[in-house]
Amino acid sequence: MKQFDSHKIYAWMWALSITLLAGCRPSVPSSYIEVEYPAAVTPDNDGATIPPNIAPLNFRILEEGNEYLTCARSAKGGQLTVSGRDACFDQGDWHALAEQTRGDSLYIDIYVKDGTGWKRFAAQRYFVAEESIDPYITYRLIRPSYVTYEELTINERSTESFDERVIYENMRLEDSSQGQCINCHMPRNWNRDAQSQFHVRQALGGTIFIDGNKAAKVNLKTDSTMSAGVYPAWHPTQNLIAYSVNETGQVFHTLDVQKVEVIDYASDLILYDAENNSIQSIDRTRCDFESFPAWSPDGNTLYYISAHYYQRAEDIDADLDNNYDQLHYNIYARDFDQKTRKFGPRRLVFDAESRGKSASVPRVSPDGRYLLFTLADYGQFHIWHKSADLWVLPLSPRPVHCNSAATIPPSPDSSTCFLYPQELTPLNSSEAESYHTWSSNGRWILFSSRRDDGNYTRLYISYFDNGGRAHKPFRLPQRSADADDLLLRSYNAAEFLVRQVKATPKQIAATIRGDASNASYTGSALLRQEPDCTAVTINTDAAARRGESVGY
Amino acid sequence: MKQRLPFTLIFVAFTLFLMVGQLKPFLTETAALTPFYVDESIVGLLEQPCGILLYLAAGLQSCFALPFLGAFIFVILLVALAYVVRWAFRVSDAWFGLCWVPSFGLLLHFTQLGYLIYTVKHPSFAFADPLGLLIAFFLIGVWYRLGDWRLKVAFMLIVPAVGFWLFGFFALLVVPSLAFCELAQLCMRPSEFHAPRAGMRHFLWAMALCLSGFLLPVILKRLLPIPIDIEVGHVSFTNDLSALRRPWLVAFFSSWIFACFRFEGSKRWMTAVASVVFLAVGSCAYLWSFRDTNFLATLRMKHAAEVGQWEQVLQIARSEEQEPTRAQVCLTRLALFKTGRMGDILFTYPDGSADYRAPQPNQWLRLMIGPLLYYHYGKTGFAYRWAMEDLVEYGERPAYLRYLYRVALLNGEDALAHRYARTLARTLFYKETDSDLEAEATAIRPLLNYTDQLDGDNGLVEFYLLNSFALSEGGSREMVELSLMNGLITKNTAGFWSRFMALLPTWEEHIPTHYQEAALMMSQLQGGAPVADLPIDPAVAQRFQRLVAASSRMGDNAANAALLRPEFGDSYWYYYFFVEGLKTN
Repeated sequence: MKQFDSHKIYAWMWALSITLLAGCRPSVPSSYIEVEYPAAVTPDNDGATIPPNIAPLNFRILEEGNEYLTCARSAKGGQLTVSGRDACFDQGDWHALAEQTRGDSLYIDIYVKDGTGWKRFAAQRYFVAEESIDPYITYRLIRPSYVTYEELTINERSTESFDERVIYENMRLEDSSQGQCINCHMPRNWNRDAQSQFHVRQALGGTIFIDGNKAAKVNLKTDSTMSAGVYPAWHPTQNLIAYSVNETGQVFHTLDVQKVEVIDYASDLILYDAENNSIQSIDRTRCDFESFPAWSPDGNTLYYISAHYYQRAEDIDADLDNNYDQLHYNIYARDFDQKTRKFGPRRLVFDAESRGKSASVPRVSPDGRYLLFTLADYGQFHIWHKSADLWVLPLSPRPVHCNSAATIPPSPDSSTCFLYPQELTPLNSSEAESYHTWSSNGRWILFSSRRDDGNYTRLYISYFDNGGRAHKPFRLPQRSADADDLLLRSYNAAEFLVRQVKATPKQIAATIRGDASNASYTGSALLRQEPDCTAVTINTDAAARRGESVGY
Repeated sequence: MKQRLPFTLIFVAFTLFLMVGQLKPFLTETAALTPFYVDESIVGLLEQPCGILLYLAAGLQSCFALPFLGAFIFVILLVALAYVVRWAFRVSDAWFGLCWVPSFGLLLHFTQLGYLIYTVKHPSFAFADPLGLLIAFFLIGVWYRLGDWRLKVAFMLIVPAVGFWLFGFFALLVVPSLAFCELAQLCMRPSEFHAPRAGMRHFLWAMALCLSGFLLPVILKRLLPIPIDIEVGHVSFTNDLSALRRPWLVAFFSSWIFACFRFEGSKRWMTAVASVVFLAVGSCAYLWSFRDTNFLATLRMKHAAEVGQWEQVLQIARSEEQEPTRAQVCLTRLALFKTGRMGDILFTYPDGSADYRAPQPNQWLRLMIGPLLYYHYGKTGFAYRWAMEDLVEYGERPAYLRYLYRVALLNGEDALAHRYARTLARTLFYKETDSDLEAEATAIRPLLNYTDQLDGDNGLVEFYLLNSFALSEGGSREMVELSLMNGLITKNTAGFWSRFMALLPTWEEHIPTHYQEAALMMSQLQGGAPVADLPIDPAVAQRFQRLVAASSRMGDNAANAALLRPEFGDSYWYYYFFVEGLKTN
């Protein structure tokens, strides 16, 4: 009897719980007025293409009302309803719905109740792509880059949830007498082999190489190179890293709302052999400023940007400060022989200067078909340039149809067509779009944008389809709808990861505290030496070359 | 109670007098430098050791924006601390005066800071220590009242482990302090432990406390994923400022004395001794509090400037008797420019370059008023830059956010301005709206009529402003006048006549006195200028003639400066010939 009673009690408790839970779940109002336009929300991701495994796209409804209700419904059936001005979806429910919607549309119905009753705004729509996104990203959180730095963190964030953790923070080893800057956390091959690197500047400086749960510190500055390694590009198959070496300065605008100009007063390229801890120079010319190296996925080509500096005065720094907007970077490439580890002569890939523009951060898609880069009016540190937009240059080795809108019309005596670089219009805004990266499957582009307020960088993700078209991006989802509004920090130098970084902050700190091994300089990595300042110097008039960019 | 009340009343009156009566601007500035946002998430606060305590302390500290309210809360805390000390160590009423030593120590710990409030990297340097020590002493009192050994063991484990997360450094202090207290009692008062077992019990507790107090933090440090700063929650100074720790050390370690000696009894001499100590410590707190006149005057001028009360800025400048710092001079000049009287009376105001009486050199002018000056002079890039640099270095303090907001608004960066306005709206006392600032922005816009360039000031705000205007050409009427005046201030007379002539039609009937003086002097020095055609005031011209006559008699060397000062000290001539060697920061 007692046994029976307890069962009964449990049964009643379960029934009550389920009833209560069901009662708590909001239901769509039965009567409402249709509003023809979509509700104002932040972030506004209406029309974006999203991965099926992305974290819930929570948002805040900006319409005035007393009650709010949001219903996410799949074109394939199934729906999810949440109440409140902040539409925050349960992760499990969201993932189930998104997975169910793979390859189809997900509609967001927003209901707002005011004094006149419920209103339903025109549905917002996300398209759920077939392809998933890499499960993690890494970035640096920083106050918009100024001279001082405190509390910099290199973070790792799950794209499938809101989990975020600190890989390393600069305050860990900082005291009042010594500061540290940390930057450029770059995984090798999306961290497939748990290898990545980042730099530590100033106190206890060096480049930290993370390999599994081990870390090592290397001093990449040699007497023969102008600085330690800066912008890295990890070779896809060999343990080689191409770095730029830069003499970088930060100067401030007195009035311009772009506020800061980051100028390279000199820069070169080097190749670091991680196994032998040795460095070779690649480009080492005084009057050409090379930077932002990037490997092709087969490892046979190194892309990079370079600007020819026409020296106008003895004091280069002052000259560049006064003529910062005259420095235009083109995209070049060098073939790389993986057996001999030698580079061939450089060739022009995209002539931005002839368009009165300047290109930066070339990144080749994992299938090798597209070169994604940022194009702005001048310079190379485009996050501070409102004119900075994302462009893509097809690198198709296949024959190109000359009647395609994306081709340069053939010359009368040539049957060859070149591909035009194309602006990725759906990704761009009137503010800066910059530092971008490809997901490991090449279907997602992660990029930085200042579109929200012109100053604080936020991360956006866009679908890049097989036909080379970019789709409307969405902002990296946050647990709280106003998290991005309240955060007075920028997301910086984001990269995709297919797996988490293994080394703990303590292990990394111990490595940083230890001594660095000094890399040695072993000469040039060029197949043939090139005379300074003469290599592929632009001879023809820029205007004459306008529109003659070469597709590769 | 009868014996406690006088001490309490005297302490309350003294502290309120010091804080509200003398250090009011310091309190107001402290509030502006306190990053407190009402809607911080509890989860976020719990993610960091001492997060809760620091948040509470910052909230209380931000109340200094209403100085009496903030001071009152501060006093209540310090009074509570004295009473907790009495309770924890069972101090008798006769000795009650001694219980105020920690409170006076913490009062001085805050009031001694002066200029250092700008550079102490701590969200709540005034309130964190009183709150933390209040909790620490309370826990010590709880220990003494725990009878059951199991509760004592639980105490030893919970206080460092959980307490560290909630109260940071202060929780870690409790257990080793108790270990010391137990040992001290054994050594200092062996007669109380007649039975060897009682003595042994105390000894064992002391050893256990030692182990717990020292081992648990070490274990925590190894286990926790975040770095543990042993000083979390406590104001730390760089090594060269370690002297500033002394009041805090007195505050804390005085409690150990209570543990060593039993302050019991009710003799008169006890009250007398305690009263003497009370008065002595109170006097020290008063004498060593930073009540520098220039510092406080600068803050008063700054606060008046921030609400556009330019006349009050000038009143303060005029009323100060000591040599001003450059910060005071810069604020005075800005107020004169804002009130349109720069050309008439600028050189009649006190000038000087008194040292900033800070314990270490720094760019105090920039830290105190850099963004304010740049903003009001239309150098928006640098106003934003330095507000941002300081925000990066010292945290999201409302003092910086205000200028980031103002500059964004002036730049027409509405979304950015909205972001900062939203952040300010989360504070208790610094909400601002676009309409509040429109009149201010309207006054600044004429100064934005110049060509942008990349530039640097190395943090030398006054030097940059002076030269920037003195060497500029063209622009709005306001900019030309600033060019003219800054040319005069820097004694760079190259563009004087072109600027003077450009402004002449705008002066209608009265040319500002200093410009008349400069015109007469330039004409005399350089010749060829059409002074005769200018509407020079006869009184100014006659005064100039008297100066020429006096100079021809005495010469114009520095030795004669004192002789000429009574009659000509308020003229541009005197500034030009005799005022030399002023620093500009």
